[in-house]
Amino acid sequence: MNGGATPSKKLLVLLAVVGAALALFAVVRVASFLTSAEYRAPIRGPEATEETTPRAEGLADERAAARKKALEKPYEEVEYRAFPKIGSRVAVWVVAQLHLLFAAFVLAVPLFAFIIEAIGYKTGDGRYDRLAHEFTKLLSVSFSLTATFGAFLTFLLIILYPKFTTYLVSVFSPTFLPYVLLFFGEAFFLYTYYYGWGKFHPLVHLGLGLGLNVVGTAIMFIANAWLTFMTSPAGVSEKGAVLSVWDAVHNYTWMPINVHRVIANVAFGGSVAAAYAAFKFLQAKTDEERAHYDWMGYIGNFVAIIAFLPLPFAGYWLAKEIYAYSQTLGLTMMGGAFSWLFIIQAVLIGNLFLAANYYLWLGMGRIEGVSSFQRFIKYLLIAITVCFMVWATPRSIIATVSEVRAMGGSSHPVLGFLGVMSAKNTAVNILILTTFMSFLLYRRTGKTATVSWARAGNAAQVLIFALAAGFVIFLGIYGYFVEATVRIGLSVPQVLSVLIAMVSITAIDVFLFRGAARTGEVRWGRIPAASQYVLIFIAVTFTWLMGLMGYVRSGLRQHWHVYGVVRDHSADAFTPTLGFATKVVSVTVLAFFLLIGFVFWLASLHDKKDWEPRTGTS
Amino acid sequence: MIRVPLVLRLAGLVLASTAFYTYVGQMVPQKEVFPPQEVVLLADMTTADMVRVGGEIMEGKGLCFTCHTVGKKGPLRFPDLEGIAVRASARIPGLSDVEYFAQSMYEPDLFVVSGFNPGMPVIPKPPIGLTDPEILCVIAHLQSLGGTPTVTMETKHRYNNSAVASGAKP
Repeated sequence: MNGGATPSKKLLVLLAVVGAALALFAVVRVASFLTSAEYRAPIRGPEATEETTPRAEGLADERAAARKKALEKPYEEVEYRAFPKIGSRVAVWVVAQLHLLFAAFVLAVPLFAFIIEAIGYKTGDGRYDRLAHEFTKLLSVSFSLTATFGAFLTFLLIILYPKFTTYLVSVFSPTFLPYVLLFFGEAFFLYTYYYGWGKFHPLVHLGLGLGLNVVGTAIMFIANAWLTFMTSPAGVSEKGAVLSVWDAVHNYTWMPINVHRVIANVAFGGSVAAAYAAFKFLQAKTDEERAHYDWMGYIGNFVAIIAFLPLPFAGYWLAKEIYAYSQTLGLTMMGGAFSWLFIIQAVLIGNLFLAANYYLWLGMGRIEGVSSFQRFIKYLLIAITVCFMVWATPRSIIATVSEVRAMGGSSHPVLGFLGVMSAKNTAVNILILTTFMSFLLYRRTGKTATVSWARAGNAAQVLIFALAAGFVIFLGIYGYFVEATVRIGLSVPQVLSVLIAMVSITAIDVFLFRGAARTGEVRWGRIPAASQYVLIFIAVTFTWLMGLMGYVRSGLRQHWHVYGVVRDHSADAFTPTLGFATKVVSVTVLAFFLLIGFVFWLASLHDKKDWEPRTGTS
Repeated sequence: MIRVPLVLRLAGLVLASTAFYTYVGQMVPQKEVFPPQEVVLLADMTTADMVRVGGEIMEGKGLCFTCHTVGKKGPLRFPDLEGIAVRASARIPGLSDVEYFAQSMYEPDLFVVSGFNPGMPVIPKPPIGLTDPEILCVIAHLQSLGGTPTVTMETKHRYNNSAVASGAKP
């Protein structure tokens, strides 16, 4: 070897030893494989019992016997069938959740696209019309995926839970034909709305959008009847016989779920649309593109958060109806097997509030003259963090025996007081108020009120905010000193005071800033890239939250298909651990984002140049 | 510096966020809840056996401790059961403790303890659906909370017999 380093003798010896060991190992493995596969004489029975029939004839006989047996066997309805590997419950769970996520998106996007288009028509600002059109680009593929997952879910139910599905069909048979007809209507309105953009008079087009929303909402209401009946059945006898289809539809949780889902769908749809805008912003090559997608992301997130603010109130109504239907069911949810799920929910909602506020604070940077408001951010952050911590405090703590003895029970002597509903209701109401204040500050950035009563108006707003916050906190503390009958009722004035504060402060703000002087322009696109990742994080968190809450809504029935009426006798009739449930939710969320990524990609093809064959230069 | 493609960055964010929430899900207490086991009740069970079995039913199939507590104070949603045997015989004039317990399970809304909302389900009906002998065992257990159990498997009350029971013993 010329010029090369000569390996040392020691290294060569070491390599030889290692090589020999590997060779020995390989020889042993090959030998053991060959030994295990060597020919062995078959174990033969005694001469008298040996089968003398030729093999082909024996197989034919077996087939004939099996056929004869099958022909003689009377038809038996199977109660359950098993899905391979993952089991029937997980299969139905994942497919149902994916169907719901796409359905939520398909119902939500037309709702705010319609509103944005209407704003564009009213103001004559073409940007709104283009924005609404861009949102609807995401619809057609999502609609196909919704329908595909819906069909998949139906087949899974028929195959895996045939008896229960037959029962559900028998109860709701009059609802299926209208459902199918409405689905045709949905397809008609959706495609005409999308492909007819700019082809009709704006009012005709808005009419198509309205039709799309009405039909979509009606479809959801029908499907909601089926699933809410399973949780809070009505209109059937104790043994399940149908007494009134309308009562079965109009059961305790039907309307609360309808309202909750409409609001939640808008919040979810807004967040996914904002994620799409963020994706496009991060891909953008020009300032113009960045400005457009920054604006789109802002609108999507605005829609999501505005819808998100009243969502806890709708959730409260739903929980109230569950309690009204069955205290046992309500307590299973909040104090039993599912109580810790609401700690996970607190983490998710806390993250949503933090992320939404962070996005707003980052967004202030795109407006000139922002500094006067930025000093308030630290106080808002403190309030959000404290509320988050209160909400995430569990009532009982998992502790060792000695720790439980030291605490005098499973509740912490001090922190345990923050784990009850009085504290949590207070925390969520203050969270909502704080986020609302963030919006208000953002809205005011770059503007100065010029009306003569500006000082009085500001003072009135601060007073209303302080009164609402003080009242909510007072009721929260008061709740510790009164009986259950009084305490449960305190949530309503808490919620009402927050709603009244938000409506009245907004009303004052609208008039206060009418004709306001501009101190700085909004520079769309001038926002840190981090803000776009925040939008995507919000979309993931919303999706995960929907998956989790979908699980509790369905899992609440525990070992019942229809609570108290049709018992679940399958192998999956137990409630899994929350750890398992969260893994299933995560898999579903990842599958959803994989598919929605595909939808985003397809939508972005619209802006790509058409393919052209290469032309030769010679 | 290597620039990670956007799609990979976004995939990483989605994966990391999902992984974080999955991790939170593993941090909370993990418990599988199975459908309640059917309890085999023998006709010749002693009262002491009934107290024990009644306790098991209350913890399991009866779902009693989903709402009720024993020995807990403070803002409660449903009445605490500590010392209930003492209060039961004096709660409704004319009703023995056995009759009172039976009424609160068969017709729970007839009497609601002051300061609490109605909310007790009808125990012999689904979704709980305890049988008459199972309810007798629960009564035995309730009697043991601050008192001396007296019921037997033959004890009659107005819900399992047309003749009105006058006391604990048949």
